[in-house]
Amino acid sequence: MEFITENLQILFTGLGLGSIYALVALGFVLIIRATNVVNFAQGDFAMLGGYAMVLFFTGLGWPYWIAFIGALLAMAVFGVLFNYGVYYPLRHRSFLPVLISTLGASIFLQNTVLYVAGPQPKPLDKLLNFDGITLGGVFLDSQYIVILVATVALVFFTFLFFEKTLLGKKLQATSQDKDMARLLGIPVALMIAITFIYSAVLGGIAGVLVGPILFVSIGMGSIIALKAFAATIIGGFGDVKGAIVGGLLLGVIESLAAQHISVPYKDAYAFLALFLFLLFRPQGIFGEKVSEKA
Amino acid sequence: MRRLAGIAAAALAAAWIVCAHAEDTVKIGLVNEATGPNAEAGVYTHNGAKLALAEINAAGGVLGKKLELKLEDNQSTNPGTVLAFSKLFGEGGIVAIIGPIRSTQIQAASPTVAKAGIPTMIGGTDPSLTKVNNRWVFRARPNDSYSSRVIADFGVNTLKKQKWAIIHSTDAFGSGGMNALTTALKDLGVTPVLVQGYTNNSQDFTPVVLAIKKSGADVIGSYMTNSPDVGIFAKQLRQLGVTAEWVGSPSVVTDTAMKLAGPALHGVYGIADFTPDATPESKAYAKKYRDTYKLDPDVYSSWAYDALRVLALAINTAKSTDPEAIRKAIVSIKGWKGVEGNYNFDENGDGLRGYNVVKNEAGKVSFIKHIDFKD
Repeated sequence: MEFITENLQILFTGLGLGSIYALVALGFVLIIRATNVVNFAQGDFAMLGGYAMVLFFTGLGWPYWIAFIGALLAMAVFGVLFNYGVYYPLRHRSFLPVLISTLGASIFLQNTVLYVAGPQPKPLDKLLNFDGITLGGVFLDSQYIVILVATVALVFFTFLFFEKTLLGKKLQATSQDKDMARLLGIPVALMIAITFIYSAVLGGIAGVLVGPILFVSIGMGSIIALKAFAATIIGGFGDVKGAIVGGLLLGVIESLAAQHISVPYKDAYAFLALFLFLLFRPQGIFGEKVSEKA
Repeated sequence: MRRLAGIAAAALAAAWIVCAHAEDTVKIGLVNEATGPNAEAGVYTHNGAKLALAEINAAGGVLGKKLELKLEDNQSTNPGTVLAFSKLFGEGGIVAIIGPIRSTQIQAASPTVAKAGIPTMIGGTDPSLTKVNNRWVFRARPNDSYSSRVIADFGVNTLKKQKWAIIHSTDAFGSGGMNALTTALKDLGVTPVLVQGYTNNSQDFTPVVLAIKKSGADVIGSYMTNSPDVGIFAKQLRQLGVTAEWVGSPSVVTDTAMKLAGPALHGVYGIADFTPDATPESKAYAKKYRDTYKLDPDVYSSWAYDALRVLALAINTAKSTDPEAIRKAIVSIKGWKGVEGNYNFDENGDGLRGYNVVKNEAGKVSFIKHIDFKD
């Protein structure tokens, strides 16, 4: 019995953290599909979202939900700025200059926030007014419940958005073949800007959600982004389903391995999984689509 | 006449050079975490050093010259630390250095310091740092062999607890502390029921907490490095219903850790080399720090404050900036009252031998007792 509750406890936090990896990985994938570039500042989108929330909620004293919406709006505006400042000027270059541009943006963002907000990590209140519930010996942290529910909702929303709306279909067309999309009258630059906005908002949501658990700090994004990037590769580079499944899988693998093998090597398991995938299934879990494209 | 003018000009020039030389400063390097994940602590360390600097210079400086701090960022990393030391040594004119507070960084830079032969004050508490054939490091904090003895002594003799779980970071500080605590407990006849390490910046401590639960420990002794880790661990510990007492290394009673963890850290004992209420010296320092920075002082600032004053005292006693003379002056400092305690330097370069035990009482740190050792 104790064995079961212990493992359920581990599974629960593993899924919670995995959801955060999945959300950030989703942001990665959307940008990869739209621009063929890995956005190394993706983790810093989460960091910025967290700090925006701290500013609006703790700093300015806005009600939680208003502050949340404010943080997401701020991230949307930031997505536009990021698109025009970091990606757009280099859009006709090969992928390498853009990649380095996002890397530079990441360092710039972290140090700007360090300068403005100071180096102390900030606590953030939970969304719900209670710490959690104990169910059959398993403690369910209310914030992890929120994270799980929010991730399911966002994944569902993303699916509907891309598959069922005209705008979503235009975005898909852009990511599949820019020249063709342009011929069909789709404003490609605008579509890419929208992708950056959506991706920044997703990152921001991840940051606000995880802030009460990991606290809001300069480095919070880097830690998450590294795992999220591994998740995108495990799931299938550039695959939306893959990002979600990869993120959740990674969260669960590292938690279970930490529990049953050894805690100090927790971070190693995630990358061991990545390594095994690269060796034996380099295209990832849902990799076929990418090989079709190639 | 022309010749005379030439001589006068030369004399003037010489006087000007002498004059400029008199305005020269005595330069002390500060290798500190200005950026990177530990930049938080770096700010406090710099604050403490700046406060001491202002005081020393207001009192006439050292050897009749003003003291100057040269800040070098180590990016919170080991390679960054080695680089920062090399840069300061390479520039020349640095009389002494205040090094980092992290043991792992000092370990990395130790060979560089030994080679340069420049007196370096350190805040890292891994006991081995002053015993690795490096005559040039001096510690302005009590080392972990004392912190662990204080933790063990307080837990076993005051709290009367026998079932210990040791939780430690796997970096040099955490592992060093774990080894020392295990030894200290063994000397008191106690074998821990659990010894569990974790890596810094862990996002989840559930497996650690479950292991503690399973072990049936009634007291936790901890050596954790980063404040967010303390916060996450404390919250999960209480969520999963562990009610064991907790006596931790100084990180559990830092301002940031207490802010992050909130009620989860209430009732936790920590040891601190610096406690505002411990002595008249520490009280005076705390007031000054609060007035200057509008922040509560903690160990990250107080050790640097003491370190710079120890260096100034040693340079003034030695009446020289010669490294060998400074070294001699430092190790002969006995019974000097700093804000962290009474300094009695030994040949290894260790200045302090005791800690305060403090308790987090509903978010406020209160002084419980001071435990000092003779050896």
